[in-house]
Amino acid sequence: MKKTSSAFYWMTIPAFVLFFVFHTLPALQGIFYSFTDYIGFGDYNFVGFKNYLNLLNDGRAFDAYIFTFKFAIVSTIIVNILSLLIALGLNSKIKLKNTFRAVYFVPYMLSILVVGYIFNHIFTFIVPEIGRSFGIDILSKNILGNMDLAWIGVVILAVWNSSGFNTLLYLSGLQTVPDELYEVAKIDGAGKWDQFKHITFPLIAPFFTINIVISMRGFLMVFDHIMALTEGGPGQATESITLLIYNGGFMGGEFAYQTANAVIFLLVVLAVSFFQIKVLQKREVDY
Amino acid sequence: MEAVPDIFFNTYGSGSTTKILRGIYLMKSLRLVTTILLVLVMLVGLNAAVFAQEVELEFFQNKREAVETFDRLIERFEEENPNISIEQNHVPDAETVLRSRLARNNIPDIMGLGGNFTYGQVADAGILKNFNEAAYLNNTQTAYRKMLQDLHEGSSNYGVPFTANANTVLYNRDKFEELGLEIPETWDEFIEVSETIKENDGTPFYLTFKDAWTIMVPWNSLAANLHGENFIEERTENETTFKSRYEEVSEKLYQLLDYGQDDIFGFGYDQGNQAFANGESFMYIQGVWAINPILESNPDLNLGAFAMPVMNNADENMLVSGVDTVLTMNKNTDHPEASEKFIQFLLEEENAQFYIDEQMTFSAVENVFQEDPTVVDLKEYFETGNIAPFPDHYYPSGMQVPNLIQGFLHDGNVEEFLEKLDSEWNKVQSR
Repeated sequence: MKKTSSAFYWMTIPAFVLFFVFHTLPALQGIFYSFTDYIGFGDYNFVGFKNYLNLLNDGRAFDAYIFTFKFAIVSTIIVNILSLLIALGLNSKIKLKNTFRAVYFVPYMLSILVVGYIFNHIFTFIVPEIGRSFGIDILSKNILGNMDLAWIGVVILAVWNSSGFNTLLYLSGLQTVPDELYEVAKIDGAGKWDQFKHITFPLIAPFFTINIVISMRGFLMVFDHIMALTEGGPGQATESITLLIYNGGFMGGEFAYQTANAVIFLLVVLAVSFFQIKVLQKREVDY
Repeated sequence: MEAVPDIFFNTYGSGSTTKILRGIYLMKSLRLVTTILLVLVMLVGLNAAVFAQEVELEFFQNKREAVETFDRLIERFEEENPNISIEQNHVPDAETVLRSRLARNNIPDIMGLGGNFTYGQVADAGILKNFNEAAYLNNTQTAYRKMLQDLHEGSSNYGVPFTANANTVLYNRDKFEELGLEIPETWDEFIEVSETIKENDGTPFYLTFKDAWTIMVPWNSLAANLHGENFIEERTENETTFKSRYEEVSEKLYQLLDYGQDDIFGFGYDQGNQAFANGESFMYIQGVWAINPILESNPDLNLGAFAMPVMNNADENMLVSGVDTVLTMNKNTDHPEASEKFIQFLLEEENAQFYIDEQMTFSAVENVFQEDPTVVDLKEYFETGNIAPFPDHYYPSGMQVPNLIQGFLHDGNVEEFLEKLDSEWNKVQSR
């Protein structure tokens, strides 16, 4: 067997070192700090599992988990349905196909924070104007100031921003489905919905898996959207876990306590992702 | 080892850059020359950086409103001290940024911070220089030095108070004149004035409660006057509760919502400043720090400031005033003398006067007085000493009080809110 060229080691080892130093090491440090009462600077003492126990009793952390999951599930569902529909449309024989593909992908390339501030402006000034002229009460005020509706604003921003990427993945998936299958189905008398249900959907299952896992993971970690729109308000109505960790850990000076929160969150996200992959991979069909 | 460069050159095609690089690589003599040149350039560059400026300092300060004023003061300082260069660093959410920098041990040389809980924590952590021996400390007012000492353990001075602010109600003098209104001196008069404005189809206050921190302005005025003596000490010793002392505070705050504009939670600080500047409301519950941004929006606005009349006996009413900016420095900075020089420079009477003239704040430096007619109605509070510190500077920041109040104002349930304040306090203190 040919000896592996040292070139390959030269390519992977530096990347591994950088990744370890800037990603893994800080994470390990964080886990270490979660067992102390460090406030980010100065001296600290070991407190064992005290932070974790306090977390279990923390209603605010619990509320943040509930909100984060609610937001992530709703956004994942909406984004995936929307992306699949758009991808189906972009895959068919329409004019200006490539222009449309570019247009739908542009929102994904924009910085979430910048777009968020623009949406903030839209929700504060433009939407109320429209709401008032149509006489719709709910929309006449800034929905970001409404405790029950603020999260919808965040969902709208998330869906607008992320759909492009998921559309791209679904599009590549759709293009792997061979055309002969559709022709055979048409000969057999299958309608469009039957074709979708029995041919398209099973064959794009791997792409469906990837999309769901990535969307869910991304939305569970939502931060920029909320920072730009509501900063967690009104009250704590749109406070996601990452925002709580940031606010409590830095603004609130409870660095070690929120690091414990972050460790728990890491385990939750890992569990969710594993679970999703396990369940969804069973559905994948080999053709 | 020859394989690696070959892979590199073969992958990157045969453009002119690749050809040149390949040429340099292949000719061994050229390789030597190029390496020596690169090293020389690096050395020269490094030296240039070291010798160009003798001393470069970072001045980290937290007031967006004060950036230009500090820029001008820095210009003056650099003229007098040509081998010191100061870079002002100001970011939104400065305290959060400062904490994350402290976590990385990246401490600014000189800092201008608000005299609040964060300052206390940073002082307790032993990050700041001890100013007890500094002669120039005695040029500042004792009352403000004491306010700072109360924020941390012990009674050393870890910063020098520079300016003090006032937590006020701003008002539009022209509009008040139109309706023949006078500055209210009691709570009942305050409500009466608001009612009169409403009856005449005006908006009494423009409330900007989308930004939770702006809720603290009326809260602080109410709490300082109504929460009784020694609340913080007694609460820390568990001898009292929010529930027993903050009922009137919460009720009065909730009452103010009736006199705001249509969408109180839809607008924030920046929109509020602009709206008040454009005459959309008669009054604006903000402190003197907002005067500058408002006048920038509309320099012709004829505005004034009065202390929120919380008590029904005018003599008992207190003005909430705290240390707006405390100057301090990194204990272990690379340039202690230069940093101290800048702090001393700012404390000189001429410069302290320049700053408060521009920023409409009050000076903590002795013999420097705020004469601007805009804030003349506040003078008597300073003269009679009816000043109270900001209650929220002593609440632990992990409680996130502004967001809690924001939540309360949505449903108005006072009992639930006060219980939450107590439970959050207990929770945070036990951590």
